[in-house]
Amino acid sequence: MAGVSYVKASRVYPGNPPVRAVDQLDLEISDGEFLVLVGPSGSGKSTALRMLAGLEDVDEGAIHIGGTDVTHTPPKGRDIAMVFQSYALYPHMTVGENMGFALKLRRVPKETIKAKVAEAAKMLDLTPYLDRKPKALSGGQRQRVAMGRAIVREPAVFLMDEPLSNLDAKLRVETRANIAALQARLGTTTIYVTHDQVEAQTMGHRVAVLKDGLLQQCDTPRNLYEQPANAFVAGFIGSPAMNLKTVALTSEGAVLDGLTVPLPRSVVAGHDAKTITFGVRPESLRLAGGDEAGMKLTVDLVEELGADAYVYGSVDIGGTSERFIVRTDGRTPPSIGSTVTVTLRDDNEVHLFHPETGARLETTKAAPTA
Amino acid sequence: MVATTTGPATEPHRPPPAGTRRRGRLRRFLDRYWYAYALVLPVVVVVGGLVVLPLAQGVFFTFTDINEGNIANPVLGREADYDVVGLANYLNVLSGDPAYGSFWAVLLRTLVWSGICVACHYGIGLGLALLLNRPLRFRTLYRILLILPWAVPAFVSAFAWRYLFNADYGLINWLLGSVGLPTPVWLGQSPVAMVAVIIVNVWLGVPFMMVALLGGLQSIPGDLYEAAEIDGATPWQRFTQITLPGLRPVSSTVILLGVIWTFNMFPVIYLITGQNPHTRILITYAFERFFSGATRDYAIASTYGVLILSVLLVFAGVYLRALRSREAD
Repeated sequence: MAGVSYVKASRVYPGNPPVRAVDQLDLEISDGEFLVLVGPSGSGKSTALRMLAGLEDVDEGAIHIGGTDVTHTPPKGRDIAMVFQSYALYPHMTVGENMGFALKLRRVPKETIKAKVAEAAKMLDLTPYLDRKPKALSGGQRQRVAMGRAIVREPAVFLMDEPLSNLDAKLRVETRANIAALQARLGTTTIYVTHDQVEAQTMGHRVAVLKDGLLQQCDTPRNLYEQPANAFVAGFIGSPAMNLKTVALTSEGAVLDGLTVPLPRSVVAGHDAKTITFGVRPESLRLAGGDEAGMKLTVDLVEELGADAYVYGSVDIGGTSERFIVRTDGRTPPSIGSTVTVTLRDDNEVHLFHPETGARLETTKAAPTA
Repeated sequence: MVATTTGPATEPHRPPPAGTRRRGRLRRFLDRYWYAYALVLPVVVVVGGLVVLPLAQGVFFTFTDINEGNIANPVLGREADYDVVGLANYLNVLSGDPAYGSFWAVLLRTLVWSGICVACHYGIGLGLALLLNRPLRFRTLYRILLILPWAVPAFVSAFAWRYLFNADYGLINWLLGSVGLPTPVWLGQSPVAMVAVIIVNVWLGVPFMMVALLGGLQSIPGDLYEAAEIDGATPWQRFTQITLPGLRPVSSTVILLGVIWTFNMFPVIYLITGQNPHTRILITYAFERFFSGATRDYAIASTYGVLILSVLLVFAGVYLRALRSREAD
């Protein structure tokens, strides 16, 4: 077991101009940690993982595993195991042979391999399938074989590249929990790549958000949710997404239609632009009653999830129609086409970002209750 | 034609009244399937006329003593007067008597020829496919150049090679001589001729293997190699553990085809060395027996044809069974 660190590691694909798939990535992953790399397609998250695996070159900077510089070490010398999105099971080998292949290559005695494979199979409920070929397994079973192949190795680091994206929704939720539990039990450092922010938030001890090859923020799921470092992270983390609008800024605060949100003096004073990017999560909005002031929202769609309902609608702000999402009580949702008044639950539950750089503007409100 | 092909229709309909039953079934069957049978008919006629009938006639000839002297000849106004001789032809041929073509010796030479050729085809084809499967400059150009021998008609390349192999003026002997190596008479009455035809046939057969294996290589998912690399496999282990098993379905098919084609590779041998006993294989002997000699011996030639077919059928059967049992493991 070992920690992992990326030291200003970059992967640059030649071209004109060169593509910096991963740009100066600095990341410190401690021993036993479950770190999730998340980001949209093309953000470089898979490339970053493959650099750690040794499948991609590191063009600048360095990568350390367990304190050793492995920047130019071939994959076999890195003591890692990887779970691929496609699982990459060897089609002509049985489940047992797939799981024991790495040990066989290292000339581990047959009995030892057998015992280790049996142990891993038991852990993953694969014992009845050890003599089958991957072809004869369901998607979920194949996924477990891929996990088993990694476990049998007892590597210093697990690398997982979107291992759940080929499973159906229900199985994905189930397997998500199993992987997290397995990792906790084995205590092996794990780097997990996904494009699904829900997976990232539910599984990771810490989550690193990437965009265009650049690390945006790396923090615990809670901090990521409550204090996103910039507008991109704010919009990416959370489902449904945060309402992010660039609105006019006056001395009273941010002006939304019929609703002026008072902003901390520190922000207004230190900010010389005429506009501000204002973010509020759906659960921080509520439907106003009676004659309360608020934004007039025309309801386009209501998603009823039982306990909650998400109201999708549009608000006219400064002449343009802006979409908003509001979480409300599932028992009394507004009807589609109606107009409702929306207001903030708490003036402090807002996120403010610079309208051009997108960087978070720190408010003076109390630290989040973590 | 369509009506006579009516098989037992297996429709789960309830039977109509007894009298109209047969006609009703036939009619329903035709209503439903006439179009399919009409579409298949031309192929049935062509295959029947071009394959099944000559084959049946050939098998029949093997039980007679038919030759040029006793076959019906409308030009001379002569009736056929050959006789059925039972298994005499087979007994004569299988005795290995030189008068009947030394069957066993020629069979052995045919097997050696096929084995060496297919082994070289596969080995060289796989090597080239592996080289062409990696990114390199001018890859498309190399592919086209390497496929070229395949695109040239076999007789054209056979004649080209005859010139190359010419003992006195050929390019090959000129090259060998210029570096001080011996310059054999390539296409003479000696085993060297066999070496020459094997070289030509390897040259001809490699492109097919290369193209087929290249397709096979490209169907192996790249992440298997990555997984194996992480599992600690050396390049050689990746080749034996990923590439070869991944190619197995393609390999088994192209080797079977290669053996069948080479076993019956008439044009290369006949056009390059003619009736040279040192390069004689079963198919060329059957041709010699049929078209030349004092009496054109159709019966023995047909017997050779049937024996070739039998050898290949047995080979294909054993080969496919071996493959299947291996896959079942």
